[in-house]
Amino acid sequence: MDLFLQTLVNGILIGGILICLTIGFQLTFGVLHVIDFAVGGWAMLGGYTAYWLVTLAGIDPFISIFLVFALFLLIGRGLGPLIYRVRTSRYARPDLMALAFTFGLFLFMRGGALWLWSYNSRSVESVLSGQFLSLGPVTIPLMRLSAFLMAMLFSLGLFILLYRSRFGMAVRALAQNRDHAGLMGVDVKRVSAWVYGIYTGLTASAGVLIATIYSVNPTVGIRYTLFAFFVAVLAGLGSVGGVLIAGLALGLLEAYVATYIGARYSLLIVFGTLYLALLVAPKGVLGRGI
Amino acid sequence: MSSASSNAKSPGHPPLAIESVAKHFGGITAVDGVSLSADAGEVVGVIGPNGSGKSTLFNLAAGGLKPDAGKVRLQGIDVTGWPTWKIARTGISRTFQIPSLFINMTVRDNLLAAAVEGDWQRARDRMEDALEMLEISHVVDNLATELSGGQQKLVEFGRVCMRDPKVILLDEVTAGVHPNIRQIILGAIQRLRKTGITFLVIEHDMEMVKEICDRLVVMDQGKIVAEGDFETIANDTNVRKAYLGRT
Amino acid sequence: MASKPVQTPKFIVRALLIGAIVIALAVLPAFIDSYTLRIATGALMWAGLACAWNIVGGYAGYISFGHSAFFGIGAYTTAILMQSDFGASFFVTLLPAIILSIAVAVVIGGPTMRLRGAYFAIATWAFAEMLMQLVTVLDFTGGTAGLSLPAYLNEFFFYYTMLIAAAASFVGVWLLIEHSRFGFRIKALRDDEPAAESLGIRTNLVKVQSFALSAAITALFGSIYAYWTTYIDPHSVMGPQITDQMVVMVLLGGLGTIWGPALGGVLLWITNRYIWSTFGDTVIYLPILGVIIALVVLFLPNGLISLLVGRQRGKELISNILRKF
Repeated sequence: MDLFLQTLVNGILIGGILICLTIGFQLTFGVLHVIDFAVGGWAMLGGYTAYWLVTLAGIDPFISIFLVFALFLLIGRGLGPLIYRVRTSRYARPDLMALAFTFGLFLFMRGGALWLWSYNSRSVESVLSGQFLSLGPVTIPLMRLSAFLMAMLFSLGLFILLYRSRFGMAVRALAQNRDHAGLMGVDVKRVSAWVYGIYTGLTASAGVLIATIYSVNPTVGIRYTLFAFFVAVLAGLGSVGGVLIAGLALGLLEAYVATYIGARYSLLIVFGTLYLALLVAPKGVLGRGI
Repeated sequence: MSSASSNAKSPGHPPLAIESVAKHFGGITAVDGVSLSADAGEVVGVIGPNGSGKSTLFNLAAGGLKPDAGKVRLQGIDVTGWPTWKIARTGISRTFQIPSLFINMTVRDNLLAAAVEGDWQRARDRMEDALEMLEISHVVDNLATELSGGQQKLVEFGRVCMRDPKVILLDEVTAGVHPNIRQIILGAIQRLRKTGITFLVIEHDMEMVKEICDRLVVMDQGKIVAEGDFETIANDTNVRKAYLGRT
Repeated sequence: MASKPVQTPKFIVRALLIGAIVIALAVLPAFIDSYTLRIATGALMWAGLACAWNIVGGYAGYISFGHSAFFGIGAYTTAILMQSDFGASFFVTLLPAIILSIAVAVVIGGPTMRLRGAYFAIATWAFAEMLMQLVTVLDFTGGTAGLSLPAYLNEFFFYYTMLIAAAASFVGVWLLIEHSRFGFRIKALRDDEPAAESLGIRTNLVKVQSFALSAAITALFGSIYAYWTTYIDPHSVMGPQITDQMVVMVLLGGLGTIWGPALGGVLLWITNRYIWSTFGDTVIYLPILGVIIALVVLFLPNGLISLLVGRQRGKELISNILRKF
């Protein structure tokens, strides 16, 4: 029973971070209709940025995460118009060109990281590393708890932005209908670019948290892209609210498989479940819409 | 495959018999217990306002949709719930409201693709016949996207002729086309019906309806509200109500 | 293929051209050193793989990100059967490899190909990753350590085997798609599925047939590759880089064309080897590949073949396929 509870807590804590990883991806799909292959790449780059900030400047990842967010917000904002152009271009009205473009972007990130930093895994040290909190039978690494709370903070921030601001209203209008939003005076191109920026910022921040809990190396991106796809598909592509449940579901699935079946089977079961979920309910288990 | 068999009338079995079919989409009843039967060589017009269930009825007959209730029979064979391709091979061919040509293929390949599951040996002769009948021989090597809207309608009609069907469903085949092209299509229908092919035609163009249809069926809100020849229908109060909202 | 369509002079010209290329490739080893021969062998393999991917991606219009699974199935079948427990000879292993890949393609193809567009892409990717993880945890596949095959160090043997396989795939696909009834079915399916169905084409069957054909060719090259490199592990034959390259080669060369994928495959592989010999490793190849994809998407969405062919028709074909997606 203790093990069960411990696993439950572990699953929820990881699930929270997966929510932060996927929530921006969903927003991008809802607004730009782009499936971004590079989602894991952004997370990987976020992790590396935090690594270099703590190694070279001694900034703790729980502080530097805000810098990472700001930095990737601007990078994404800069890249956004290009993504928008590909997605709406004459040839490339289709998803495929955008999919291929982000696929190329991802390959560029993965290959660039391999080239610069080779295959080594790097762990990101924090002052919280190695500290624990005991709650009855359950032991919680302080770092995972803080990471979970940080992920929730970022996700909450996104919800407040979406539902309590003029910008959020424009974003939601855009997700409903691009043409109408344009007619209503929303600057579609600019809002889309900012949405892409918010997505990259959020995803890179989630990457900082992942790197702090585990470690980071150039090839982790693929796994996190698939995790993001998993959560997104389970939630229904484009559904921001559904991510809250789907993220926790993946966190719990992974935790229980790792505890009761064996860690080396966890990816096999995660990908198997993703595949079956797609076949059974391609439009998502939890409905759609922002 | 039965495509080589003749279109001769089988005694007792009409080529097409729709028996009280119904289809619901969520809470909306698109087709509500429609029965309809057509004889060999007959041209039946299906008219009615937009959203009255005409296209849904076509989809139910041709297999694009599965009816919630009722039966569809082709020459006595119960084809209800069969997949579209199987119904097509049994003898129904159709056109679509929005022309659905194979856009990356030439006119020639569009026509040949229609025969690929049928009489392949004589496909080329049939193609020549269809091209000549529809007067599109000069565009045979053009891509489907290079054609005018009217020519696209002709190619789609030609595709139907490639299949040696017993029943042809035409969904607004003359909507928005040049009068010359309309004349070509009318001629083709008249020619094919003489060989015993049954037509079910969705049409808004009353001139055309008057000219070719032996019998009219008026649909409104998923039901058949009137049935008869053109004169009867034109004077029917239910029809005026359906179309004009008043008597 | 009950009756042959009219064989135009174009058919004869093309057949002669293909014949000439095959003969030129057959005498090529006489003029090059063994290092260049290895590159040529790899180029043939990637050209064949690109043609295989193009059947599903270009002609049927389903973008698969899971073809590494079939490459791996071929490689592992050959590797396992050539272990000393079985001791099968190389050519004997090809048949089970192809049969297994077809079986897997038929089983997963039916349900997966009901999905469209991005959903299909994600599903195939998830399947391939799942299979790679499965190979990693199983014992008889050697786990993460992989498997060694009996070494056969005859570069000419592998060159000619690849040549035969690549030429057979290319000619097979060409005849099947451009000169048989199957070609009408698969293109009709791609252009308008409901219309194809309404003309009696059994689209679900055609989808699975094309997926299985594509999988079988991919597995064939996987088998030859395993014997050629003499050592395989999950990442080297099932890793995402296999699919990455197949997709990029077809996109670069020209989706849904006969010559495009072969051209893209050869060019990209030569680029890969050039980078390898210049920089001493291939890590820099990945970011370059990424930039190529981004540039192709931005400036040359119809692939290199559109530069060579230059006809409006070729351009329209590909942008229409893309729009459909």
